[in-house]
Amino acid sequence: MTADGVVERSFKVRAELGLHARPAGQFVSLANRFTSEITVGRGDEWVSGCSILSILSLAAEHGSTLKIRAEGADAEQAVSELGSLLETDGAG
Amino acid sequence: MRIMDILVRDAVILDVVADNKDEVLGQMAQALAAAVPAVDADRLLEVLREREALQSTGIGEGVAIPHGKLPGLDGLVAGFARSGAGVDFESIDGQPTHLFFLLVVPEHAGGRQHLKALARISRFCRHDDFRKQLSEAAGLDEVLKVIEGEDEKF
Repeated sequence: MTADGVVERSFKVRAELGLHARPAGQFVSLANRFTSEITVGRGDEWVSGCSILSILSLAAEHGSTLKIRAEGADAEQAVSELGSLLETDGAG
Repeated sequence: MRIMDILVRDAVILDVVADNKDEVLGQMAQALAAAVPAVDADRLLEVLREREALQSTGIGEGVAIPHGKLPGLDGLVAGFARSGAGVDFESIDGQPTHLFFLLVVPEHAGGRQHLKALARISRFCRHDDFRKQLSEAAGLDEVLKVIEGEDEKF
C-alpha cells in the first residue's frame, strides 16, 4: 500500500448477537486508534467507523457482511485489525 | 419496528432530576414498572446495573441506551428520559448525557429484535436535528410527536 492508500475489504459479523452496543463500542475504540479515515458499509449505506451511533444504526446481525474502508497511512493495518475484530465471535 | 409501538407513554420522564447514573436508571425503572405490570422495578434496576458494569451504554453524542432482559414480558418495551442539565453517565466520550432510551427485552427473545430497536434509536439519534428537537420539545405530546415524525421517515 502507498502512504495514502485506500483499503477496502468485506467481513462477516461473527458475534452471536450481532453488532450490538458492546461490540460496536469495541469496534469504535479500535477504529479511533488509527489515523486513517474509517468508514463502514452495509449494502449501499456507508457510515463513520468512529461513531457507535452510526455503527449501531446498521443493525448488523450475526452472519451479515460489512465492508470496512480505510484511507490513510495505516489503512492496511486498520482494515486488517478491525476485520479480525468483526470475525471474532468473542466481540459479542 | 416503530419506536412509537414499543415506547410506553407513561414511562416518559421529561426532566429527570438525578445526580448520577444510578438515579437515572432507578427513576426510569420505576416509571416503566408503574406503567407495565410485568416489570418489577427492583429486578429491572438490578439487570440494568449489571449491564452498565460491563460497559456504559452512554454511547456518545449525549445519548444513552440502557437495556436489559426481563422474564414475563410479551414483547419489547421502551421508556425515555431527558435531562436538560445532563447527567454523568460515564459515557464513552466523557460528555454528559441528556437523552436516555431504556430498552427492555423479553428474557427468551432472540437478539434480533433488540438489535433492530437499538439500530432504530441510533439511526434517529445520530442526526443533530433529532436530538435538538427532542431536547427542546415543550411537553410530552411534543416529545412524542418528534419521535413519531422520525418513525414515519423510514
